[in-house]
Amino acid sequence: MAFAESLLQVAAVLAVAGAVGWAVAAALVPRGARAERLAWGLAAGLTLTALSVPLAFAIRIRPGWLAFLLLASLAVLPARILRLRGRAIAASSGPLDLATALFALILIAGVALYCLRALTEPMWANDYVAIWGLKGKTFFAEGRVPGRLFLWRSLAFSHPEYPLGIPFLYAGIAGLLGRWDDHAMALLFPALQVATLLALSGWLRRRGASRPLALGAAALLSQFEPLYRGFTTGMAEVPLSFALLLFGTSLSDRIDRTDPGASRRLVLASLVCAATKNEGLFFVAAGLVVAAFSAFSRRGVFARAAALIAFPAALVAAGHRLLRGHLPLSDFDFSILRRPDELVRRMGETFAAVRRGTPPEVLLGLAALGVLIAAGRPSPAGRRLFALAACALGAYLFLPALAVAGPTWLVETAFFRTVAALAPLVAAAVAVRLVPVFADGRPETGKIGDSSI
Amino acid sequence: MSGRKLAALSAGAVLLVLFLLANSPGELRRRVAFLSRSARLELAARRLGGSGTAFDRELFVFVESLRRGLPRDAPGVAILTSRPSTQALYLASYALAPTPVLMNPRQVPPRWLAAVYGVAPPPGFRIVAELPGGTLLARP
Repeated sequence: MAFAESLLQVAAVLAVAGAVGWAVAAALVPRGARAERLAWGLAAGLTLTALSVPLAFAIRIRPGWLAFLLLASLAVLPARILRLRGRAIAASSGPLDLATALFALILIAGVALYCLRALTEPMWANDYVAIWGLKGKTFFAEGRVPGRLFLWRSLAFSHPEYPLGIPFLYAGIAGLLGRWDDHAMALLFPALQVATLLALSGWLRRRGASRPLALGAAALLSQFEPLYRGFTTGMAEVPLSFALLLFGTSLSDRIDRTDPGASRRLVLASLVCAATKNEGLFFVAAGLVVAAFSAFSRRGVFARAAALIAFPAALVAAGHRLLRGHLPLSDFDFSILRRPDELVRRMGETFAAVRRGTPPEVLLGLAALGVLIAAGRPSPAGRRLFALAACALGAYLFLPALAVAGPTWLVETAFFRTVAALAPLVAAAVAVRLVPVFADGRPETGKIGDSSI
Repeated sequence: MSGRKLAALSAGAVLLVLFLLANSPGELRRRVAFLSRSARLELAARRLGGSGTAFDRELFVFVESLRRGLPRDAPGVAILTSRPSTQALYLASYALAPTPVLMNPRQVPPRWLAAVYGVAPPPGFRIVAELPGGTLLARP
């Protein structure tokens, strides 16, 4: 089948998933926040697509429309009853200014460039072929989760200990498509990029950002090639970066009690984080720490937030345990923690490898980022997002010291691309600090004004 | 305009320029040309021309032919090659999934097929199919 035809079919599958998700997102996102509803809608729709695969296996049918529609109806009907009635922000009625138009053009160009990079050829990165794609294709083709993926030593390269969310998603899309097409399926990645940009700009708008600031942040992020490039297409970084943004913003909304949907969004984000990549669980734990610091003094708030964060992640972890038993992280040797001298030496090696791999233009970019941060005003939401990003950066800097294959190997193969996945979170943290600097007179709290909620 | 605004706009502009400079016009042109050339080809041919097979395109031709000729009930394939590599193992495992793949095992597991690529067939196997660059074998 020619590529264009396949691409249209995958686009239709993603559109259906997004449409179902849009209906579910009525219970997640306040009315009026259309950009965010689209983003959360895609997250919800893709989650249902992925979940339809284990559901299909459980009821002994092939992954496809029957399992998806069954799950969709189970999600859409309650969402309709629980839909949020409060309105987030008044629709902007002002005319488009030059800055907004310019940022819109940059953003469209960023999406178009990533489409080109992602869709040039079938997904090909080693991690896609050896890990995510191999498992997804096996699930789809066998119509079950074969135990050998987790038991056979010869398949250790496929990292049996990694979460199964992405392979289930691939198998789900293939099930809806009716065949495995690893070229057209790459369209998922630009779709995730668009959803990330919508989540970022929509959240900033709800937090009081002017239209040019919200669009400017999204435009800049859309051009961030270290994350949105051909090599990362098929791997976990782009989905994780989207999940982390959803997690960070919903956690902040929950702590600030911006709207009744924040708790539900946090549940979904925690679930998606934990199901996407191993560090998703780490992020959930970091979120607990951030929630503790932000809301511990408020009676009951931390306990409820902790439950909302931890329960979905625990559910994912329990599901994985049930499917495949306990599997250790094979890339790391935690016994090094008991040998301080070696640990210090390895950490030195890590920092040296990071320094060697950081070109001057990255240092210039970091300096510009520093200026952007300094130009902003203190913001509790920004502090929380920075705290999450700092936890992740700390972990990414520390973990190579425990790498079985050596710190230099892990830094060279994974450090820079995994750190790049923090970009949407950092963009939100930086931009929310700039809200008062570029204020257009709207309130900055993000709380919704309708008293009916 | 306030100092903060000016600083933010300047830093944002620097970042934008750095991000835009990361795009190589030559690479983008090559991508457009590749996509327009390959879009009408079948999926396997598009993969054959892509980055994932660049390390050994002949191996992919062999593996793809193997996939097409593999009996549905094959419990697994042992690929015997003189050029084993992790990349080759990953590509073959993915291309042949869900059929399990081993590369140069000490012994071909019972009932598994053997696919030889660039080496002589081991004794005691019968030929199932000739493939480009190799042969698919089974125990008698």
